Amino acid sequence: MNLPNYFLVDLPPEATLTAPMITEACQTLRRNREAYLASRSTQSLIELLCGVAENWLQPDYPFRKLALEEGPSATGFSGETLSRGLDDFFKQLTPQNFKQLLLQEFGDERRLDKFVSTVAEERQSRSAIACAPELLVHIAAGTLPNPTFMSMAFGILLRSAQFVKCASGASFLPRLFAHSIYDEDRKLGSCLEVAEWRGGNAVLEEALFAEANCVTATGSDETLGAIRQRIPAQVRFVGYGHRVSFGYVSKEALTGFNAKKVIARAASDVVAGNQLGCLSPHVIYVEPGGVFVAKHFAELLAEELANREQTEPRGTISNEAAATIVSRRGFYEVRAAHSPDTKFWRSENSTSWTVVYEADPKFQLSCLNRFVYVKSVPDLKTALENADSIRGKVSTVGIAAPEAKAVELAADLARWGATRICPLGQMQNPPLTWRHDGRPVLGDLITWTDFEGSQ
Amino acid sequence: MSSDLSIFAARLRDFIGLASEDSLYLEPSDDPALKSHFDIEFNSMAIVLFGRQYDRNAAYRKLCEARNISPTSITHWTQIPAVPTVAFKEMELTSLAAEERVAVFHSSGTTGQKPSRHFHSRESLAIYEASLWPWFCRNLRLTNDDLRMVVLTPPPLRAPHSSLVHMFETVRLKLAADESVFLGNVADDGSWNLDFNRAVDYLRNAAEKAEPVLLLGTAFSFIHLLDYLVEKKLRFALPAGSRAMETGGYKGRSRALPKSELHALITDRLGIPASEIICEYGMSELSSQAYDATMPSGEVGNLKAERRAFHFPPWARVQIVSLETGREVGEGETGLVRIFDLANVFSVMAIQTEDLAIRRGDGFELIGRAEQSEPRGCSLMPGTA
Repeated sequence: MNLPNYFLVDLPPEATLTAPMITEACQTLRRNREAYLASRSTQSLIELLCGVAENWLQPDYPFRKLALEEGPSATGFSGETLSRGLDDFFKQLTPQNFKQLLLQEFGDERRLDKFVSTVAEERQSRSAIACAPELLVHIAAGTLPNPTFMSMAFGILLRSAQFVKCASGASFLPRLFAHSIYDEDRKLGSCLEVAEWRGGNAVLEEALFAEANCVTATGSDETLGAIRQRIPAQVRFVGYGHRVSFGYVSKEALTGFNAKKVIARAASDVVAGNQLGCLSPHVIYVEPGGVFVAKHFAELLAEELANREQTEPRGTISNEAAATIVSRRGFYEVRAAHSPDTKFWRSENSTSWTVVYEADPKFQLSCLNRFVYVKSVPDLKTALENADSIRGKVSTVGIAAPEAKAVELAADLARWGATRICPLGQMQNPPLTWRHDGRPVLGDLITWTDFEGSQ
Repeated sequence: MSSDLSIFAARLRDFIGLASEDSLYLEPSDDPALKSHFDIEFNSMAIVLFGRQYDRNAAYRKLCEARNISPTSITHWTQIPAVPTVAFKEMELTSLAAEERVAVFHSSGTTGQKPSRHFHSRESLAIYEASLWPWFCRNLRLTNDDLRMVVLTPPPLRAPHSSLVHMFETVRLKLAADESVFLGNVADDGSWNLDFNRAVDYLRNAAEKAEPVLLLGTAFSFIHLLDYLVEKKLRFALPAGSRAMETGGYKGRSRALPKSELHALITDRLGIPASEIICEYGMSELSSQAYDATMPSGEVGNLKAERRAFHFPPWARVQIVSLETGREVGEGETGLVRIFDLANVFSVMAIQTEDLAIRRGDGFELIGRAEQSEPRGCSLMPGTA
């Protein structure tokens, strides 16, 4: 890949990062922000982001072409999977969606530009402005690019200088996104830094955290705990822990023609990002009683995954990940040979996809890379009782149900602690306004300044 | 009960006996006629054994049926269905009736998980012992019995379900060594530890008397010993001719070390050169073991300079199979270890392990184990940042 040398991640592989390099990069970012970004209008930043997004949606956009040509070897995802992931993300970046987001977060879309009041505030003669951190640092997780893209877009919207630290081997797409912004607006691009190193490098991270005003991080609870300890007290820390997700299919959804659609949607959720995100389903719970019982559902899901493998192949995975799939298949093969309560379907001559049906409703963590469980439950209550081990760690529940029942299910799921309920088929494609882990999207990053006028 | 499996067992013991007497069987050969003879012999024995195991091992037969393979549908040992090691946890993979069983070997699984169970009768233990001894002698180069044996594991009475300890006990009896050679203990929580005082006395004594030592243990028991020696600033120069055999992973029972570092530490603290440190590869589900005492091509010696490869004895064969297709990989490629061990007469001969290896000649280089292979009780996703 022949990209100009704008970011730390562009340095040749033999170059070693040092703490002074990080410090200097951060100070440059701050200076550039002051000169080029701090006084930009929100409107102009939305226009810029939407313009970049439109470019990315064009088949002949050089950065997109590069992503699809070199992405499969750099990321392991197939070109088709990458293409879908890019489309899903960049389609979200529209002026309308950004305005909705600002309204949702701040009650008024001008809050980042000046003091404004909501009706309630006006009655009290109050107004407020949302101020962004000068330097926003992201400690990005390893697997999927879209959450990192989203963090970067939000940082630009907020007018923060940003330092994006990618996990080792995971900088390919964030790097291209950063270059595409630089290409569109060099000044804005100079307020962005992308680097890659293996997480836990205390020397580099200490230098980085010392310069940061706000740090976001995605990772396991253990990783987040370790990062939190090393962040100075005055620096804000926003951690997103690992979450798991599952699907729920009500019996009413499995009637007639609709059943086929539901199965296609379930397959879309398993295929998207090769199931590697926190929003991907490990298990799909199926109520019996519809046209399809769960075992039949599993069989048809397997057929659908086989079809998808033709149009949107999984791609190559590491030996370790493949060995885990093989071992786990062995486990279920043994069970299936001895009990009708377990049945499994698998791709021939590859580890591309696996569907395991189990009568046992206990929630089971998948080993991912398109390995999904289908389990039978009489109702949501039973599913939740059997998912107790992951309570409090669930992000998304993708449901297939008629509207009235969906409302009931959502209420029960909210009480139980799920933070996002969406239609099956949309699990890995949250809207821009999605409250990550149930937290405010931008609200956690900014600082309010209240202005109390004279009465 | 003199079953058809017992008849097979007798035939196998003849074969192994012949191998032990005539080292021709154990040494690598380039003679195509001899190779072909071994191939035919192994194939015919494997097919006979598969037929008998299919008949007498109900749990195994069900798995074969699920794969649509029966004794009449195969002509070559490579077609025999291999059982995933996890099956030994889930069910009783044995043709031994409950009253015949005198021992059961467990896998050293992680806490909280069901261990593998490999049942043995007196007869199957006899085959186990007959299988291990000649290959152990050949790979540890036991030409005479003047090596002073010392074992870093607990004794058999304290670890009755360890196939490794049973192997060491068999070696001890063959070498007519004293029972006190076992320097390990079992703690209240079931973990293995080491009697450091006795170990140090033993090593000091051996060094002073200039008696070469045969030091046997698990990788983690070696680490326990070496960490202690480092802490106490102790160093022994064991006499020339001393040899060490280490085996197995760590599974959190000590700090983990790359093999090269472990061996360097053994050399540094005990004076045993790298060429005299042999790795063993075995598991409770098998009755034969592999050693890395040879080069990929099979010749012995010059063990330091080049990469070694694990080899099983002639009555067991290994395939490194593709993770994606399940077919044997090419030279230098990575896959999972699959073993066909004729000495597993009363359980299942064909075993699919979760171990990743690179195919090297007719042997293999071990590189790791599949993670998270146990679906139950696995932790919530390791960190990726």
